[in-house]
Amino acid sequence: MGYRKSLLQLTLLLALPQAGIWAQQPQTDDREAIEQEMVELRKRIDELDQRLRIADRNREIQAEADAARAKAAGSVNPALPVNGLLPAGNLVAQGSEAVVAADTTGFTIKSGDGNFLLKIGADLQVDTRSYSGAGSGSFADGMLLRRVRPTFSGTVYKYVDYFFRPDFGQGSTIIYDAYMQLNYFRHINLRVGKFKPPVGLERLQSDDDTSFVERGLPTLLVPSRDIGFQIGGDLLNRRVGYQVGVFNGVVDNSLSDAAVGSHHDYAGRVFLTPFAPNENFLSGLGVGIGATGGSVDGLGLPSYKTFGQNTFFSFASGVTEAGHRTRLAPQAYYYVGPFGLMVEDGLTEEGLQKGNVRRDIAFRAWETEFSYILTGEKKGFASPTPRHSFDPSNHGWGAVELAVRTGEFSADHSIFSYGFASPTATPRSAREWVGGVNWYLNRLVRISGDYGVTGFEGGAIGGSRIAERVLIFRFQLNFI
Amino acid sequence: MKHTALLASILAGSALFAAGPVKLLNVSYDPTRELYEHINAAFAKQWKAKTGQDVTIAQSHGGSGAQARSVLDGLQADVVTLALAYDIDVLAEKGKLLLANWQSKLPNGSTPYTSTIVFLVRKGNPKKIKDWDDLVRPGIGVITPNPKSSGGARWAYLAAWGYALKKNNNDENKAKEYVTRLYKNVPVLDSGARGSTTTFAQRGIGDVLLSWENEAHLALNELGDKVEIVTPSISILAEPPVAVVEKVAAKHGTTEVAKAYLEFLYSDEGQEIEAKDYYRPRSAAAAAKYADHFPKLTLFTIDEVFGGWTKAQAKHFSDGGMFDKIYTPGL
Repeated sequence: MGYRKSLLQLTLLLALPQAGIWAQQPQTDDREAIEQEMVELRKRIDELDQRLRIADRNREIQAEADAARAKAAGSVNPALPVNGLLPAGNLVAQGSEAVVAADTTGFTIKSGDGNFLLKIGADLQVDTRSYSGAGSGSFADGMLLRRVRPTFSGTVYKYVDYFFRPDFGQGSTIIYDAYMQLNYFRHINLRVGKFKPPVGLERLQSDDDTSFVERGLPTLLVPSRDIGFQIGGDLLNRRVGYQVGVFNGVVDNSLSDAAVGSHHDYAGRVFLTPFAPNENFLSGLGVGIGATGGSVDGLGLPSYKTFGQNTFFSFASGVTEAGHRTRLAPQAYYYVGPFGLMVEDGLTEEGLQKGNVRRDIAFRAWETEFSYILTGEKKGFASPTPRHSFDPSNHGWGAVELAVRTGEFSADHSIFSYGFASPTATPRSAREWVGGVNWYLNRLVRISGDYGVTGFEGGAIGGSRIAERVLIFRFQLNFI
Repeated sequence: MKHTALLASILAGSALFAAGPVKLLNVSYDPTRELYEHINAAFAKQWKAKTGQDVTIAQSHGGSGAQARSVLDGLQADVVTLALAYDIDVLAEKGKLLLANWQSKLPNGSTPYTSTIVFLVRKGNPKKIKDWDDLVRPGIGVITPNPKSSGGARWAYLAAWGYALKKNNNDENKAKEYVTRLYKNVPVLDSGARGSTTTFAQRGIGDVLLSWENEAHLALNELGDKVEIVTPSISILAEPPVAVVEKVAAKHGTTEVAKAYLEFLYSDEGQEIEAKDYYRPRSAAAAAKYADHFPKLTLFTIDEVFGGWTKAQAKHFSDGGMFDKIYTPGL
């Protein structure tokens, strides 16, 4: 306002001498002096005008920046263009101010310098299960909350990531993941806490990304989550991924919040994607192997479940773990265009004891799965993002995938001769076939329908246990 | 037989879906709006003729650094066409959204066109601004965006620094003194080049705009009776790069069309569009055809004067870097 007043005063000052020129017709010297004065006054007016414009423009820029920040904070999905043109600088932290954002990866609070980040996500899976066949045993048809997992992840002090994910599904509260990871060096990081040990390929795939609603038989033979330290990273332009670590050593397909003994498991995995850096028909090929080794003295015994989550394999009473356990998990995948193939083998040898009898018993499980995205999206280790999200009025129907899987689980036959399991209650082997359809409505929402048949060899009085047949539908919302 | 029929149906259905329309998002820097409107229309036509598929390309524009941060924060860019290589390096290193060797994927270090920094002054050049030394005279208002968010501003800053170095036998202190004086004459820092053009041309602030060459010509075409271009004796060779955001494109299933889109920038048709829009083309033929668009001046590269973008960024534009030390707002 001060500038505006000064401008008005100067304009009047400029006008008055001009009026005097007309009134008095001054001499030449006076006229030159007046003209000089007018030039000076015009110059001062120009300067004040510039200052006024600069002040107005700076206020305008500040208002634009405030509006952009407010828009970013209230944005539901900054990834979606509006009328084909996105606002500039969306979701950008200005200077030292933090940014709050919501998008397809969850809700985010980020410091202005990007060194501190909190992301809040969620993973919700609602299943309906319908069993048929006498082998489907103890589970009743019904609906359940398979997974209810809020997720808190992010970064502190630029180099330290953290991840925390409890699960409230199926009527229990379990901490699934709780770890931090130091990322200071480019090719090596350190992870500490509770997380997936580096062994099974399908186990390392997020449950939101698997092609089927339940994982396959080889995953039964690897740990789910364990507490430990892990060093990992990638080399040769991400062609080689590696992890090595030491863990408490949980039983197969399980997790724990505490050590059950003084022993440890040592785990390691190498995974190669030799053609990945360049886009070609082999760039989606990955081959690797995971392994663990350690003592199992005093550890609890595992039990193994079918696709329909019925326990089909359990040990006889009086059996304990004793001695050493070694796991091997050769694994591979191949993705090209909409086609996907995953193969995995699981080999475990572990010491069992009953009374005075102690023997090493081998278990093996394998699986092969194929998938094909009918709508043409590229298949990969992570879920596809539909080209057109579900929006029928705009011809958007999401993405549709077909998948089929077969696999087998078997135990060393001597497990029965040594009395570690009962041949009339526990099958010698199980063979599964699963077919499924996945409908990805958008990047976050998926509806799946899988039909699985698991047949058995042995496991019943006078013959084989009757096959389990189960139809599972899943409604899934996930953003992490 | 039944299975064969089923498989045939699936593949036929897949092919039908695959030929559906496809969308790309090009996240670019501030003054390329018009260029990519022209490129997008030409590419869509060519792609349709070649593949039968409709392609729609959405555009997002802003300061180059700000745009890179948006992509890091989740903006789903299939391709980025930013003002400088460092902003794409960030996507590779911090976001791992593409490989570190992204510049080797396309010719000329993935820069299909170049540009430089020129001066836009008021009609008649009342302040008689001819070269870089005139920018530091007392009372001259210089308009340029914030180098923290704008790629064009970083090029302009480095052009000024490079000029001062060359004039003073690579004396860093004298270069710092010159650039400090220059930024004392900067009254407004917009976040991007387009905002600075608005400040200068529409709001009537300042005496000279440090401008991308193409942006200066755009202003001249729109405000020909109010502004004119002054080409300094020396400036920087600005090399705005392009890249497919591999991770996003792979997720979207758009890798092929995104690559073709960027390759189109190197085609005869693409190069001619760029030259027509006052971007200096790589193609000799397009450069010759539009020679009158590009006055000759001495151009130095960032590599030869500053040792590349990584070094320049760390020294001049990082938090606490040279720009933070020398800039104090106000006339």
